[in-house]
Amino acid sequence: MIRFLARRIITLLVALVAISIVIFLLLRVLPGDLALVMAGVNAPASRVEALRTQLGLDEPLGMQYLHWLGSLLHGDLGASQLTGRPVASLVATRAAITFPLIGLGLLVALVVGIPLGCAAVLARSRRVRAVFQTIAVIGGAVPALWAGLVLIVLFAKGSGLLPLFPSQGFPLNAWHNPGAAFMSLILPALTVGLIVGASIMRYTRSALAEQMQSDVIAMAMACGYTRTQAVLHVGLRLALPQLVSVIGLTFAEMITGVMVIENLFALPGIGTGLINDVGHRDLLAVQGELFMLAAFFLVIGLLVDVTHRVLDPRLKG
Amino acid sequence: MTDSNGAHEPHGATGHEAPTSTNNPNATTNGTSNMPGATGSLDPTLQAASTAATRNKPPVWAIILAVLAVLAVIIGSIAAIRTLTSSNDTPAGHKESNVTIGVKLAPTNLDIRNTAGSALDQVLIDNVYEGLLDRGADNGVQPGIAQSWDVSDDGKTYTFELADGMTFSNGDTLDSQDVVWSLNEAIKQGYHGSEFLSAVDTVTASDSSTVIITLKEPDADLLWNLTGRAGLIYDEEAEGSYDPKTQALGSGPFTVEQFTADDSITLKRNDEYWGKNKAKTEQITIKYFTDNNAAVNALKSGDVALLAPIMPNVMQTFADDPEHYDVQPGDDTDKYTLAMNNGDGHATNDKRVRQAIRYAIDHDELIAARGGVDLPLYGPIPELDPGYEDLSALYPHDVAKAKQLLAEAGYNEQHPLKLTLTYPNIYGSEIGDMLRSQLAQAGIDLDVQEVEFSTWLEQVYTNKQYDLSLVDHNESHDIGSWANPDYYFNYNNKQVQQLINDARTAPTEQESEAKLKQAARIISEDAAADWLFNYRVTTAMAKGVEGFPVNMNQSFMPLVDFTYTKQ
Repeated sequence: MIRFLARRIITLLVALVAISIVIFLLLRVLPGDLALVMAGVNAPASRVEALRTQLGLDEPLGMQYLHWLGSLLHGDLGASQLTGRPVASLVATRAAITFPLIGLGLLVALVVGIPLGCAAVLARSRRVRAVFQTIAVIGGAVPALWAGLVLIVLFAKGSGLLPLFPSQGFPLNAWHNPGAAFMSLILPALTVGLIVGASIMRYTRSALAEQMQSDVIAMAMACGYTRTQAVLHVGLRLALPQLVSVIGLTFAEMITGVMVIENLFALPGIGTGLINDVGHRDLLAVQGELFMLAAFFLVIGLLVDVTHRVLDPRLKG
Repeated sequence: MTDSNGAHEPHGATGHEAPTSTNNPNATTNGTSNMPGATGSLDPTLQAASTAATRNKPPVWAIILAVLAVLAVIIGSIAAIRTLTSSNDTPAGHKESNVTIGVKLAPTNLDIRNTAGSALDQVLIDNVYEGLLDRGADNGVQPGIAQSWDVSDDGKTYTFELADGMTFSNGDTLDSQDVVWSLNEAIKQGYHGSEFLSAVDTVTASDSSTVIITLKEPDADLLWNLTGRAGLIYDEEAEGSYDPKTQALGSGPFTVEQFTADDSITLKRNDEYWGKNKAKTEQITIKYFTDNNAAVNALKSGDVALLAPIMPNVMQTFADDPEHYDVQPGDDTDKYTLAMNNGDGHATNDKRVRQAIRYAIDHDELIAARGGVDLPLYGPIPELDPGYEDLSALYPHDVAKAKQLLAEAGYNEQHPLKLTLTYPNIYGSEIGDMLRSQLAQAGIDLDVQEVEFSTWLEQVYTNKQYDLSLVDHNESHDIGSWANPDYYFNYNNKQVQQLINDARTAPTEQESEAKLKQAARIISEDAAADWLFNYRVTTAMAKGVEGFPVNMNQSFMPLVDFTYTKQ
C-alpha cells in the first residue's frame, strides 16, 4: 500500500508540472490580451503598450512561465490582474456555490439513479425493463439547458407554473443566509441531478448486469437468498467499486460540467467565473484556477484508486 | 439492453425468463404463479417472498390514480401556502430602503482610471465619483464640482468657480488642490480619457475655490469632455490608502459597499454627501445579467425592480402588462457601426463596393426585426451629439443599384463578391444572419464569424484583419475616430481630418457644429461604413419605480433620485 501510494504521488507531481506547462501554453494561444481589454476601443495605441508593460505582458513567455512556476512552488496560485484578488480566494468564493451544487446534484442523482438502476435489473418483465431503458436513454439524451428551462418554466419564482424556488442568482451575502442560499440551489441541483441520475442509473444497471453474468448471484441464491436479495446484497456490493469510480469521475467532471447550469441560473460559480476570466483575458487568474482544478481532479483520481483498494481487497496483489 | 439483460439468462434467474416473456404486467395473476415453481426452489421462504413481490402488483390504472392523487395534494398545499405567504409580504406604499436593479454589462474591476468600458462610467460617474462638470439628461453640460465657469475670448483660458464645503465620502475636504492634482495626474499618467485633455497646457489654482485651465489651442469639446472620465476628481490625500481595483473613493452621493466582479455592485448612500440633493434610497444593488432569460425571470419574480436594458426580443411580455410594468425606450448615442475595411488589399477599399453594401442593406427591416424601437442612423453622428443631420437620403435601400455598382466593380454571378463579417458574439447571431440574407439579395456572399470580444480586439481592432465588422460604438462625441487614419476603419480622408480639427478649435459652438455636420456628410457619402441604426436602450421597470434615468443610462446612470415603492 505504501509503495503504491508513493508511486501514485510521484506520478501526480509529474502530471502537475506537465499540466502547468500545457495550461500556460494553451492560454497564450488565445488572441487578444488583458491590456487590449482594459484599454478598450477608444484609447490610443500608446496606452495599450503602457498597460502591457505595467501588467508584465511584454516579458518573454519563458520568463512569464518561470515566474508563475516559482510562485506555484511557494504555494502561491497567483492573483487576478483585474481585481487583484488572489486566485485561491476567487476559487474559494466560487467553489462555495459550485461544490454545494454538485453535492446536492449528486445526491439527487444517486437517489434517482441507483434505485432505478437496480429496478431495471430486477424487473422481470421485458416491457418494464424497456420502460427503464427508455428512461435511461431519454435522461441521458436531454440537454441540461433544456431540462433546466423546463424546471424554470414549472417551478421558478415569478414566472413558473408553481412558483416555488428562485431561479436566478445566488444571495449576495452567500451562505450567511443559508436558507436562501439553499433554496437558490434547488432547481439547478435538480437539473444536474436528473441528468446525471440517468447516467448513474445506466452505470448501476450495467455494473449489476455484469455481476448477474458471474456465478455470484446464482451462488447467493443457492445459499438461500431471494433474487432481489442476491442482487441488492451481493451484486450491489460487488458492483460498488465500479460505481465509486464512476461517481468520483462524475464529481470531477461536474465541476466544469455544471457551467451551463450555472450560466442558466445565473450562479456565480466556478464555471461562470472561468468563462468570464477567459473572456477578459485575465490569464494569470485563469491559469491559477485551471491549475487548481487540475490538481483537484488528480487528487480525486488518487482517492478513487485508494478507495478501490479498500473496497476491493482482490486488487492488493 | 439485450446484451446486458440477456446476459443473466444462463444463470440463476434463467428458469423463469421464458415464462416472463409472455408475462403481462397488467394481468396480475398469470405468469407470476409460474415463477416460484419455475425456479424450482424448495426453499419456502424464497417461494413466499417471490410470490408476495408479484402477487400484490396493482393494476396500472390504480398507480395512475395514486400518482394523480398525490399530485393533487401537493398542488393544493402549494396553492394554500402561496395564498398564505403572499398576503404576508406585501406591505405596499412605502419606499424600499434596499433595492436591486438589473443591468447587462458588468465592469471587470472598479479602476475607472485604467480600465475601459462604459459599464464603469455607468455605475461610478455621478454616483460615486463626480466630475468637474456634470452631464445632463440631454447630453449637455451642467455644473458639477464647478458651480460656474468662464471662457476667455480667445477660447484658451477656462476659469472654474468651485462649490463650497465639498467633502469626499471619507470626510476629506475637496478643494481646488484636488481638482488640479486629479487633472494633472490624469495627463501625466495617461489615465483612460486623458486623451481628451490633449489641448490642455496648464491646470492651476488661484485660490482654494478657483481653478484655471489654459489650453495650447481652443477646444470646443473641452467642457463636454470634463463631464466624463477626463474630469473626474479624486482625493489626493487618500491616494494609496485604498485599492482602486475593488474600492472607489469619490465625492458623490453613494459609496461602494460591496463589489463582486462580473456579478454585482452594492451602492450605499453617503450620508455625509456635501450636495443638497442626497440619495433617496439607502442601498442600491446593481446585479449584472449576461443571460437575457435570467434577467427576465429576475424582473418577473421581483428580484430586481427594473432592467436596463431589456433586450427587444424579450420585452413584449412586460409591454403587454402595463398594469405592473412600465417599458420605456430611452435616447442614446449607440451607433451600431458596420465597419468596412477601407484599407488597401480589401474589396471594400473600392468605394463602389462600399456603396453597394449600403444600398443593399434594408435598415427598416433590421429595426423592425429588433422590435422597432431603434432609430435609423445614416451617418456617424447620432441625434444627441452636436453636428447631427438626417442623412437618410444618401443611401436609400435599393438592391438594383447595389447590383449595378457591384457589376461596375467587376463582380457578377460567376465571380460573386465574397466578404467576411467578423463581430463580437455579445451582439447575438440574429443580426449577422439578417445581414447575410440581405447582402445575398445583392449577390454578395457573406461569411459571418462571431468571435469573443477579446479576439475581436486583437484581430479586427488591432490587426485590422477583416472585411466587415460590427460593433456598437456607444461613446458620445466620438466622431474623432474618423479623423484618425490609424483607427481600425482604415479611413483616411484629409478633408475630414481638417474639418474635425477645425471643429475642435472653432471659436463658437455654431461654427464647430457646422464643421462637424460637413464632416459627417462626407464620411457618409464616402460610404466609409454603414450605420445600421441608433440603438435605443429600452428600460423595463416595475410599477413604483421613480427617478430612474431612461436616457443614456448605459454610460451614465445617476441614481440619486431613484426610488422604488412596492405596489
